[in-house]
Amino acid sequence: MGMPKAMVDRKKCLSCGGCISVCPQDALSMEGMKALVEDDKCISCAICIRICPVGAISGEVYS
Amino acid sequence: MKYDCVVVGSGPAGSITARFAAKTGAKVLIIERRQEVGVPVLCGEGISKKIDEWNMLESRRWIAGDMEGARIYSPDRTCVTLSAEQAGNETGYVVYRDIFDQELARLAARDGAKIMMNTQATDLLKDKDKIKGVKVKHFDEEFEIEADIVVGADGVESKIGKWAGINTTLKPKDLETCAQYTLTNIDCKDAYCDFYLGKQIAPGGYVWVFPKGKDVANVGIGILASLSESGMAKKLLDNFIANEPRLQKGEPIRFLAGAVPVTNPVETTVQDNLLLVGDAARHVDPITGGGLTHCLEGGKIAGETIGMAVEKQQFDQETLSVYETGWKEAFAKKIKRNYMVKEILLDMDDKTLNMLADSLKDVKFDEISTLGLIKALVLKHPTLLMRLRPLMKVSKEV
Ligand SMILES: Cc1cc2nc3c(=O)[nH]c(=O)nc-3n(C[C@H](O)[C@H](O)[C@H](O)COP(=O)(O)OP(=O)(O)OC[C@H]3O[C@@H](n4cnc5c(N)ncnc54)[C@H](O)[C@@H]3O)c2cc1C
Ligand code: SF4
Ligand code: SF4
Repeated sequence: MGMPKAMVDRKKCLSCGGCISVCPQDALSMEGMKALVEDDKCISCAICIRICPVGAISGEVYS
Repeated sequence: MKYDCVVVGSGPAGSITARFAAKTGAKVLIIERRQEVGVPVLCGEGISKKIDEWNMLESRRWIAGDMEGARIYSPDRTCVTLSAEQAGNETGYVVYRDIFDQELARLAARDGAKIMMNTQATDLLKDKDKIKGVKVKHFDEEFEIEADIVVGADGVESKIGKWAGINTTLKPKDLETCAQYTLTNIDCKDAYCDFYLGKQIAPGGYVWVFPKGKDVANVGIGILASLSESGMAKKLLDNFIANEPRLQKGEPIRFLAGAVPVTNPVETTVQDNLLLVGDAARHVDPITGGGLTHCLEGGKIAGETIGMAVEKQQFDQETLSVYETGWKEAFAKKIKRNYMVKEILLDMDDKTLNMLADSLKDVKFDEISTLGLIKALVLKHPTLLMRLRPLMKVSKEV
């Protein structure tokens, strides 16, 4: 608790589905061709953040 | 109206399954959440010429380029060249995936399948535990579609399997996360698909350049998701292009993100009233990331199995398992073997990759069989024997 939940920037998301396929909680799904996090299910593991190829999910940023 | 079979997803796996099921007279509906089949394209667009023998496509409009072979560059740019026959597997044609997918959908419709666009499956329709169809959303309208068989052809992010209780969640080490530009204004000097390896270039994956004409190519990257950080795939691809003289002047006409499962196939792809095909069943080659040929091969078996089940009016797991036996015979061993190869390759550092490329660069292979390759390598590098031994055992069987 208290940890930030994953959040998808709908403008950046290119709907590749990668985040959805790895989320251990099945907290992600495609809504209107953009990935969407179901907050109640998200455990803030950040797996989806790290795997997004275009950095569309918020959290730490690789530079 | 009740259907014999509802197929979720109009990708190659869905369209082929629907077509071969519809051919037998079964009432088949494809539902697709997109507004245009095949768009956006999420693919490197390379495919083996094996598909010519299968006669599953009629026009040739989907071909962008006919390849002469492939080149693999090690981290220090030692080049191993494979002719078309050798490269065999994934580089034969470079295609227009949007046209390719639409052609497959057209043929499914011609053989009797119905197609409903802008329609997203939101859950399975169940009566107690029995699957009776799918719940869908069509714009703001929600309704149910009844069918005796539901086919999950919903790609890498597949939910159909999960809704049915099949664990299809990928581990990050079993996913390649991808980005790709279609670059124009570049010089594709010849019709070769190029692959670039190296920890700095693409950790746990590779960069590819697949020509679609004289001055246009798909330039993409896949990196292992377990080695990825946020936005890393795109950044490494941008770096590669900036440092590659023949690509520097390129201008993008398309950009895409992608995700490729590089894992063992889903063990149980059939249940009572349900079947998984294509990426949803993880039917992708774990080394190359190629999935198209398996979609066609597996989809045909799935469609014929559905036809048989509808004929008998039996939709239990045992009846549908004809599909599972079929795809396992057709390509399960190859995928499992290549999964082992993937794991071994991942363990190799850049130095080892350079050394391998150096030993292979002049070898003339009659045929790139895994066993032949291993023998050639072990002759030159006896120390590799230990690492490759498990592979030699399975390669003898494939
Ligand atoms: C970057 C990249 C490069 C690749 N390069 C190659 C290559 O060069 N050669 C090769 O052979 N393979 C390649 N692949 C793999 C190949 O693209 C896949 O194996 C192939 O697309 C799988 O086809 P499919 O029919 O299983 O799924 P898809 O083509 O993904 O189709 C799934 C369809 O289902 C729809 N869908 C999903 N969920 C729902 C729902 N709930 N309701 C309704 N519709 C839904 C989607 O919109 C989509 O149209 C690549 C993949 C990527 C990402
Ligand atoms: S991984 Fe990134 S680009 Fe792909 S669907 Fe998820 S948020 Fe969108
Ligand atoms: S942070 Fe973890 S649990 Fe939350 S959506 Fe991302 S992958 Fe799923």
